[in-house]
Order: sequence, then structure tokens, then C-alpha cells
Amino acid sequence: MSEQQPSSERRPTGISGLDRILEGGFLVSGVYIVQGPPGAGKTILANQTCFYHAATGGQAVYVTLLAESHSRMFAHLRRMAFFNESAIPDRVYYLGGYSALEAGGLEALVTLIRGAIQKHRATLLVVDGLISAQESSPTEREFKKFLHEIQTVAELTGCTVLLLTNAERASGFFPEHTMVDGVLHLTDELSELRPLRHIRVLKLRGSAPIRGLHSLRITDQGLEVWPRFETRLPQDVVDEAKVASGPKLPFGVRELDEMLRGGVRPASITMLLGSSGSGKTLLGMQFLSEGVRREERVLYFGFYERPESILAKCQRVGIGGLKEGVKRGLAQIIWHRPVEGVIDELGESLIVTLRRDRPQRVFLDGMEGFERAADFPERMSHVYSAIAQEVEQLGLTAIYSTETRELFAQTIEVPIHGLSAATQNIILLRHVEHRAVMRRVLAILKVRDDDYDAAMREIRITNSGIRLLDTFAGESGVVSGGGNSRAARREQPEA
Amino acid sequence: MWYPAAATPVPLAVSSLRRNVVPSKQSILIVDDEFGLAEMLREMLRDLGFEVTLAINGRLALEILDEGKVDLVLTDMMMPVMDGAELARAMRSDHKHRGTPIIMMTSLPTAVPQPTGLFDAVLRKPFTPDLLLKTMLSCLPSGNAGTPQRTPS
Repeated sequence: MSEQQPSSERRPTGISGLDRILEGGFLVSGVYIVQGPPGAGKTILANQTCFYHAATGGQAVYVTLLAESHSRMFAHLRRMAFFNESAIPDRVYYLGGYSALEAGGLEALVTLIRGAIQKHRATLLVVDGLISAQESSPTEREFKKFLHEIQTVAELTGCTVLLLTNAERASGFFPEHTMVDGVLHLTDELSELRPLRHIRVLKLRGSAPIRGLHSLRITDQGLEVWPRFETRLPQDVVDEAKVASGPKLPFGVRELDEMLRGGVRPASITMLLGSSGSGKTLLGMQFLSEGVRREERVLYFGFYERPESILAKCQRVGIGGLKEGVKRGLAQIIWHRPVEGVIDELGESLIVTLRRDRPQRVFLDGMEGFERAADFPERMSHVYSAIAQEVEQLGLTAIYSTETRELFAQTIEVPIHGLSAATQNIILLRHVEHRAVMRRVLAILKVRDDDYDAAMREIRITNSGIRLLDTFAGESGVVSGGGNSRAARREQPEA
Repeated sequence: MWYPAAATPVPLAVSSLRRNVVPSKQSILIVDDEFGLAEMLREMLRDLGFEVTLAINGRLALEILDEGKVDLVLTDMMMPVMDGAELARAMRSDHKHRGTPIIMMTSLPTAVPQPTGLFDAVLRKPFTPDLLLKTMLSCLPSGNAGTPQRTPS
């Protein structure tokens, strides 16, 4: 583009995540390259943008250069919700440009494009198959001249131009990239048999785009883009100190609430750490159930067990009120299948719900679910930090469960980094072998800035709720899986 | 654009139609901006015994029409410079071309004006060679010595 600052007015794509990455959309008079392998979603992105542009009062022209026939493209697009046949040809106009290119080279193509923009008063132009123009230009210089002419037309008419290409250059250097306002790169790869689509902004003039890879999905609605979740900035900051000075939130389990000196502090984050089957989910549900009993709004957000089966299980063990809570709009249960999700979509779903509904109690069941949906494991600590930050800023009280891999080991690994740093309280749940009987044990490992009872208790799940028992009074080594009475230890020979 | 329908594979359809074509040639003008599709259509119609000319937009089509005899125009809708509807309007307002039949080819039938005097027929893409020939024959003036005649097979 020319050196002078173009108008900062933007043309949104209508793909909300992409508009966020682009800080509002494409620039008026901007020229952009959208590149990626076949099937990565370039054509869908461009068509979706055209129809959104048309629906919001713009005029779009779509020029194909031997990419695929219009019939074939329409047959594919017809399945997409955004495709609106009634906008064609008045607001979205399709042209074939290859014949002109064949007959008269790049010059004829520029003439065609210029004519089409003028005739249809186009405010958005797509050239699909830039590689054809590149291949038919005798020299690199000719091709640059072509791009320059396109820029001039865009500049004069205010038209935004998207150039689609699957160009893969052996040199890795794309001189055309230096000439345009932005380059979007779409990828479609497999990771352990799971398809992963991403979009990445390689360059964007006049903006500070959200850099890095962003998740992308193609559905019947068209393209969906999730900006990397951890880049989302917290909003609506509440005065945490003020919230934290409010009354504590009890679990509704008398013994546990006594151990916690009344419950957990408001606006705190508590980790329920334990092995599989140790009672984490039920204890979390108990926390929510107590909230409903107190007419508070509560949220369950989980990945593994289906909501119906969790509610049925709660009912069986006397953790009541949740079903009614759902009916009354106090309790909300959100369940995602971790394997098929995109981590950014899961995160977005959580954050949107937290911001909208401001539940007083939140239970995130099985944080590993986020990890399963992660495209790159190294992102996890950032993702968890972002969740923690959001919960803190909104002044919500959250409990999350996370699994320890070891059932009986002496050491206990706290698996989640980034979130554990923001965790004020840790409650450990695990199985122990005690006098030839398997028991579930609960211990409070940490409560920030507060007094607590550090004793270990047996946790019993009865059909009238959760009870804590003093089974291990006077013994040590229970949490680490040993469990010796003092008398037994005295009998052991010195090492 | 050309999709052979699964039920009528192109080679079979063409070979069965070829026998039905009479030597006296009629001239067809194909107006389409999509590369490859117009060429394929041209080969197909040449095989059937027609004389075929190509134009990649309406304006070039008008120039060809002015140069000589065209018996029927097969046009796409959306094209650069001059589209199918503009071409049809220009032909209808010119006494030299007013009577020349025009068939519009489209893959978006709901998005395109139906023939209200502008077009003699609309062919929805994809179409079979049989349907194309049938539509063309129904639009060409009957009794014309050059009209391809169906002969019993």
C-alpha cells in the first residue's frame, strides 16, 4: 500500500473470532493474502466474508482463476448457513478470470478486475487462485507490477481485496508478502489422528493482531475461529478484597466446615486433588448443593460424566437439591466432551458463562479435560492462568478437581501448573490401605492466610451424604499411603 | 460448467447423439467466462455437428453477433464487462439479433431472472448432453433445413 495512512475504517468478516484477531476486520482499501493448502478453508473464509459484507450493505465480487468451477463451489457452499443465494448476483457477483488471463495475460486480468470493481461498485473483491496469476507472469517483476496495480485500484476505489493462494515457495520467501497489508495463513494438520485447523496472522499492517496460532473449525455455519484463549483480557474487575471479606462458603459437611473454620473464603480457588474414584466429584457437587440450598447461583463445568449420571449419583448419596436447582435456574450444568473440543472453544464457553451468569459457586470438574482438548500441551499453564485470573477478577468462588496419577505412592504430584499458583486452598482425597481395609481419606493440605485443622479424616459416602470420620486419630503416614499406629511404629526395628 | 450426470455418462450420450446429427451446420455462440467449461461445451457441440464460437463476455459476444450468422446463443449469467442479462437485452433491442434464440445457463436458478422474454430457456447446471440438445432443438426455429434431425436409432 502507499505510504500514506489508509483510512482506519474496517470491514468486518462476520467471523467473530477472526474479527477479534484482526482488531475489527480488514482495512478499507487493504490488500490481503489468504494462503494455505487446499482444504484449509480459504474459499469458505472468503465467501463467508463476501456474504456477510453483502448482508451489511456492501458489494462483493468474487473472481476465480481456475480454482474450481462456480457450480462446484456453489454445490459445496450451499450447505453452509451463510450462503444466501438471493444475494447473487446483485450483491455478490462471481466471475471467471482465467479466460482473460489466458487471452491477455496479467494486463487483461487487471482490466477485468478494475472493470468489475467499477461496474459492481465493489467494496470487497476476492481473487481466488492467485497462483495462476503468478504462474502466468513471465517474471517476478511482472507479478509485482500486477500486485501494485491491484493495490492502486484498491486505493482509488476504497475496495478491500483478498487474494487467495496455496502458494508454497521452495525458497520460503514470498516477495508478495512485502507488498500487501496482511497475510493470513491457514493450516490443516493431523495431531495423533485428530484434525487440527489453525489460522495465523503472519503480517498485519495498521494493527496489533493477536499473534500466534488460533484454532479454526469448519462447520455447517461456516468458519469458526477461536483466538488463543489465554490472550483474552479479563474484564469487569471486581474489588477482590471487598468480596473476600464476606462470609465464608461452607460445604454443608459439618466436619469439613469445622476443619475449614466455616468454609472456603469467597473469591478463592480451591483444588480438590485426588486419585480416580476418591470422591472429588461428589465433594464438589456437595459444595454446589449447599450453594443451591442457600439460594446461590452455582455452575458445574465438566468433561467426563454426563450431567444426568452425575445428578443421579448425587441423588443416590443424598446430595440433593441440584436437579431442582437446575429447574429453578439457580444451578447450571455444562458438559463438554473433551476429545472433540477445541481448547479455545471450551475456554470461551467457560468464560462467557462466568461473565454472563456470575455464579457464586463454580465447580470445574476434571481440569485434565482442558488438556485433552489442547493442541499444544505447552499452552496449558497459560490457559490455566487465564482461567484463574478470570475467576479472581470476577470475584467468584471456585473449586476444581484434578487427578493424581498415583493411587498409593508416597509422593503426590500436583499436576496443574499455572493454576496451582493461583490456588489458595488444597484438599487432598485419596485411597489408603488401613489395617487391610481400603479407605478414602481427606486432608486439608493448604489454606492461604487462614487457620485450619490439618487432621486426616476418613471420608465416607453414605446414602445420606458425605461424612468425615476420625478413623485415623493418633496415626501418621496416612496421606502418603502408609498408615501406622504409634504402637506399630514402636515395634519396628531401628533402620 | 459441465457435469455429466451419473446416469448419462458423456461418451455414451455423445456417441448415441452423434448419429442423429445432419451435415448442414448451424452456428452456436457460447458465452461463458469460466475457463475450460466453455471449451468442453464447444467440443461437445462440434462433435454433434454444430459450428461453435466462444466469447468470454457479453460485449465480445455482441461483436461476434455483428460479424456474421449465429443461430443460437448459449450464455452464462455472471460475466465481466457485460453479463448474460445485459447481452440478452442488447440483442432484444437490436433488430438484427432480436429473433436469435438465447439459452441461459446457470447454477443458481433462484438467483437469476426467469425467462420473461429475455431468454428462450434456462438450463440449470449441471445438465446432461441430452437435456442440452433437447433444449437447443426446442429453441431453434423448426423446419429449418439445418436443424439436426432425430433419426430412429
